[in-house]
Amino acid sequence: MFEIEIFTKNGFKDSRGEHVLSAIAGLGVKGATKVDYAPLYIIDGDISQTEAMTIASELLSDKITEKFEISSKPQSGKSKNSVIEVLYKKGVTDTVAESVVKAIKDLGVTKEVKVKTGRKYYIYGNCSRVVLDKIAGKLLANALVQEYKIK
Amino acid sequence: MKKVKTLILRTAGTNCDYETQAAFELCGATAERAHINSLIENKNKIFEYDILAFPGGFSYGDDIASGKILANEIKNKLGDRIKKFALRGKPVIGVCNGFQVLLKMGLLPDPKLFEQISTLYYNDSDKFECRWAYLKTEKKVKNESNCIWTKNLPDVITLPVAHGEGKFIPINAKLLEELNRNNQIVFRYSTKDGGTPEYPLAPNGSVEQIAGICNAQGNVFGLMPHPERYVFALQHPAREGFDGEYGWGKIVFQNAVDFVK
Amino acid sequence: MKNKTNCKIVEILNLSDKELIELSAKNVFSLSLDEMKAAQCYFKKLKRNPTDAEMETIAQTWSEHCKHKTLTGIIEYREEKCSKKIKRTYNNLLKETVFKAAMELNKKWCLSVFKDNAGVIEFDSKNGVAFKVETHNHPSALEPYGGSATGVGGVIRDILGVGLGAKPLANTAAFCFGNPDTKPSQVPKGMHHPKRIAKGVVAGVRDYGNRMGIPTVNGAVYFDDGYMANPLVYCGAMGIIPKDKIEKKVNSGDLILIVGGRTGRDGIHGATFSSIQLNQESDVGSVQIGNPIVEKKVLDAMLKARDLNLYGAVTDCGAGGLSSAIGELGEKTGVIVYLDKVPLKYDGLCPWEIWVSEAQERMVFAVPPKNKKKIVELFKKENVEAVFVGKFTKDKKLTLKYDGGVAASMDMSFLHDGIPKPTRLAVCKIKEEKVQKPVKMNSADLSKALKAVLSDLNVCSKEWIVRQYDHEVQGQTIVKPLHGANIEVSGPGDAAVIFPYTAAKGTKKGVVLSNGLNPQYGKINTYKMAASAIEESLRNAAAVGADVEKMSVLDNFCWGNPNKSEILGSLVRAANACYDMSKAFEIPFISGKDSLHNEYSIGGKKYSIPPALLISAMGIIENAANTVTMPLKNEGNKIFILGVTRNELGGSVLAKIKNIKNGIVPDVYPKESKKIMKMIYKSINNGLIESCHDCSEGGLAVAVSEMAFAGDKGVKVDIDAIKTKGELTVAETLFSESNGRFAVEVRSENESKFKEIFKSCVFAAVGCVTEDKNVIFESVKNKIKVKEKSRNLLNAWRDTINW
Repeated sequence: MFEIEIFTKNGFKDSRGEHVLSAIAGLGVKGATKVDYAPLYIIDGDISQTEAMTIASELLSDKITEKFEISSKPQSGKSKNSVIEVLYKKGVTDTVAESVVKAIKDLGVTKEVKVKTGRKYYIYGNCSRVVLDKIAGKLLANALVQEYKIK
Repeated sequence: MKKVKTLILRTAGTNCDYETQAAFELCGATAERAHINSLIENKNKIFEYDILAFPGGFSYGDDIASGKILANEIKNKLGDRIKKFALRGKPVIGVCNGFQVLLKMGLLPDPKLFEQISTLYYNDSDKFECRWAYLKTEKKVKNESNCIWTKNLPDVITLPVAHGEGKFIPINAKLLEELNRNNQIVFRYSTKDGGTPEYPLAPNGSVEQIAGICNAQGNVFGLMPHPERYVFALQHPAREGFDGEYGWGKIVFQNAVDFVK
Repeated sequence: MKNKTNCKIVEILNLSDKELIELSAKNVFSLSLDEMKAAQCYFKKLKRNPTDAEMETIAQTWSEHCKHKTLTGIIEYREEKCSKKIKRTYNNLLKETVFKAAMELNKKWCLSVFKDNAGVIEFDSKNGVAFKVETHNHPSALEPYGGSATGVGGVIRDILGVGLGAKPLANTAAFCFGNPDTKPSQVPKGMHHPKRIAKGVVAGVRDYGNRMGIPTVNGAVYFDDGYMANPLVYCGAMGIIPKDKIEKKVNSGDLILIVGGRTGRDGIHGATFSSIQLNQESDVGSVQIGNPIVEKKVLDAMLKARDLNLYGAVTDCGAGGLSSAIGELGEKTGVIVYLDKVPLKYDGLCPWEIWVSEAQERMVFAVPPKNKKKIVELFKKENVEAVFVGKFTKDKKLTLKYDGGVAASMDMSFLHDGIPKPTRLAVCKIKEEKVQKPVKMNSADLSKALKAVLSDLNVCSKEWIVRQYDHEVQGQTIVKPLHGANIEVSGPGDAAVIFPYTAAKGTKKGVVLSNGLNPQYGKINTYKMAASAIEESLRNAAAVGADVEKMSVLDNFCWGNPNKSEILGSLVRAANACYDMSKAFEIPFISGKDSLHNEYSIGGKKYSIPPALLISAMGIIENAANTVTMPLKNEGNKIFILGVTRNELGGSVLAKIKNIKNGIVPDVYPKESKKIMKMIYKSINNGLIESCHDCSEGGLAVAVSEMAFAGDKGVKVDIDAIKTKGELTVAETLFSESNGRFAVEVRSENESKFKEIFKSCVFAAVGCVTEDKNVIFESVKNKIKVKEKSRNLLNAWRDTINW
């Protein structure tokens, strides 16, 4: 299983991250100074590291503005920030995942893969667990269809 | 007289195909909307046509990123034919989602290279923006650019834009300089009198307000604004147009049809 | 009955009344005792217990959502007005009001009314246009993005499923939300903040509509705390359909084809769920996430199949899923369905779940056997899944099979006609409205009030929303939702006009869409609210150049708990207003939908929403080029106010802002206002009107200001020249919300011709367009002069919603 995260490269505006930051301010909570937004693709299947690299570089990330990170096992959080990871609950239609499966086939990877998509938010600054829960629950995830993890 | 044949490529999520067809027909061409499956099945079909159009829409829902999945599919399944079509100097246009597809498969700005060297990224506002914009078609462009699509236009025109990912970014300063030098930047967002705009007149934050570019040869053209939505004066918010009846977008299509003739 | 399926037998034959009620509640059947007893009685006759699939089918078919049993049931109505009492019994409220008016008007251009998924009127000699508006309130409360998106997806499928399928040309969207500036601590526990709901709902409508390539061109947004925990989300769609494709025909022997999305556990019990009030433990299964691209593929492919005449009938899977769709198509013939053939998203669904699942993006077709191969190939070429699951029979029975066993076997007649008719009491005590104390303000107060009204949530610019919708895709939106003399300024359009030049080649005609909605009036008087909404929708259309003789309307009632007699009584009054206005204006209703039980509980206490009636209007314009927009065009032109300004501040924006007690709610004077609308049409077609705007929320002060700042112009209005009924103060004149009024701009050289046309109407020349870009309202008599820069007023109007 590969977890592929896509980041906006330094020097380019992460407008989606900035939007979340301003929405956090709208919630009336304090402490967050910066938000990095990272789409997350979890790819399950009998594919090699090289194939995962190809999928990440050719398909999932933009060559000009984005970079990616691949890990084959769940990551531990980075030290300077907190991470909120949002995934759809089981049984909820994940339309992007269906498109990614098609695109991987178009790319020439013929092995069967299962895909799950999610979103990661790297929250910089000084946010307590309570605040992060509030950000996740009131802004980033709807508990009815999504679940979130704070790392 | 020769009937100019246009192919409008569509797939799941294409949605500006009918008005693009109507625009070409208005200019005297025939225009056929064809599903990508039919082109993959019959790979040489595209060579039966004079003009190739990639219309706007949300191909495959713009999942992953706008135009990405269709660009990936075309490049891997039809890439060599599309490249050949472009290198033969036949007119190719990509509007909005079509522009995103052209850039992401690399047919623009350099079809010989056929690699992605520029992109259209999320609008600075992080919002989908549907509004009209002023576009500067620089004097230099009119006189010197090779672009066959943008001839005979006045200095500043208006066209509608409707996109969430339209911020043009080249891979580096060298490419930007080249695009400028070759007069490949044919449309820039501007103020009413051609000045440098701010949001919302600059709807997405594009580098150097770039709204549309062509290849050096001038036959492949991509732009975020929608010329097919302004072929009649009636479509303009204040009903402005030329000859009392038409919109500036019509000239874009007419140029290509006349070029083939 | 032999049964080796995964069906459970539901013990029902020997249950007591109490046990029947418990059974209904436990399984979310949402059936009343009488209904449970009717089911019990039916199976007693069959001498067996039902399967779970059978009970679920009954629950779904008889649900409020599918059967509209409250309004089709018996209503005993009692009205009291100043000790005058009226009694009346309705056997079917809508049939005796809204529908009855349409039948009596009997317009020959109405091609399909109240019988299909949408109403259809004539567009030209070859085509009709279909229009439908639906609500998706409860799902949007719980999951705003998915709820509104599937609302859009659902109403588009209504258009795809009308006749043999119409091509969608435009969407509409109207919302009622709680105040977005509510303090988080004041939001009821377990509910989303109104701003989060609003943003999510807009995003859902945006993403579904934009991806479908259908412009969202018209709508309304209304904020009131009464919708905090129960927002209203109305989604509409309009499409064009060839006249020879308006009728469906199902023949015995036709095959049943399911096309589009796969079936999953999503949306189980959506239909039955919509009949219950919201609470924190609401059923999670009722929420779905849509996939517009699947629906777009279905749209692209099915219109090809339609034009090749490959099928005889089609309908959409909406509430109630396959059960509802197949059940309706096969009502007259009977059906047999092999549930194990239905393509699933994942394993593990029991037969009844497959049958009632409300998974999105599915359509059901009746296909003659000879076209079996052709139609599946056609769908396959466009990567659309299409699978035969059964056929239409002759036995007038519903038969469901699963793995060779029988999951259900019931008579269609029982399912569709076996529901007992409930009787409900409706009571309305009409309070007399009183005129407020005269509202007196000096020039400075009036200036302040003008800016406050313009920036009020219910008047202010909705640009933040409108520009996220691709309202110009298809290139046919020639009167847009926002207007400006140039790109830098904007003002609110009254109605949208679609010029379907790609769908109906060579046409000169246009389709106008508009709406009327004002729940504030309904808090005082639902009759006037309904009448005003109808008049407003027509007025909006007339303002852009619609022919009032070619208009039709849709009703969407969103009400609270109808088991409370006062609430049902207020609905009966609104329905009566619909009948009266429909007849008086000679405007037929062509379709409608109601959403009742909009009730929520906070801390154990139950609240019903303020009643809301959305009227959506559609009409045909003979020459689409003969339409006008609202920005002022040229300096020196004259400004006229058409219609009478009455002392009607009840429920007005000014009354809310200034906390004015009492006030008369605006009434409708159909003869007066219809005549004005007809004369506007005539004037526009004679080229006599430069710009036109209707006076609604905020009164004529708002209307004239909007015209000025949208035109980047100034305007000078002589308040003393405005025609009023009786003595009104300046504030009352400027902010009264009397219906039937328009502000229009006329060139000096056309003035005499214009006056000649309007000579039998009430109107007055009140001012002119000026160069200095100031908006001035002056009354010499009262020594009042309000003067504001039009750019400042634009900013007041624009800056409220900027999220």
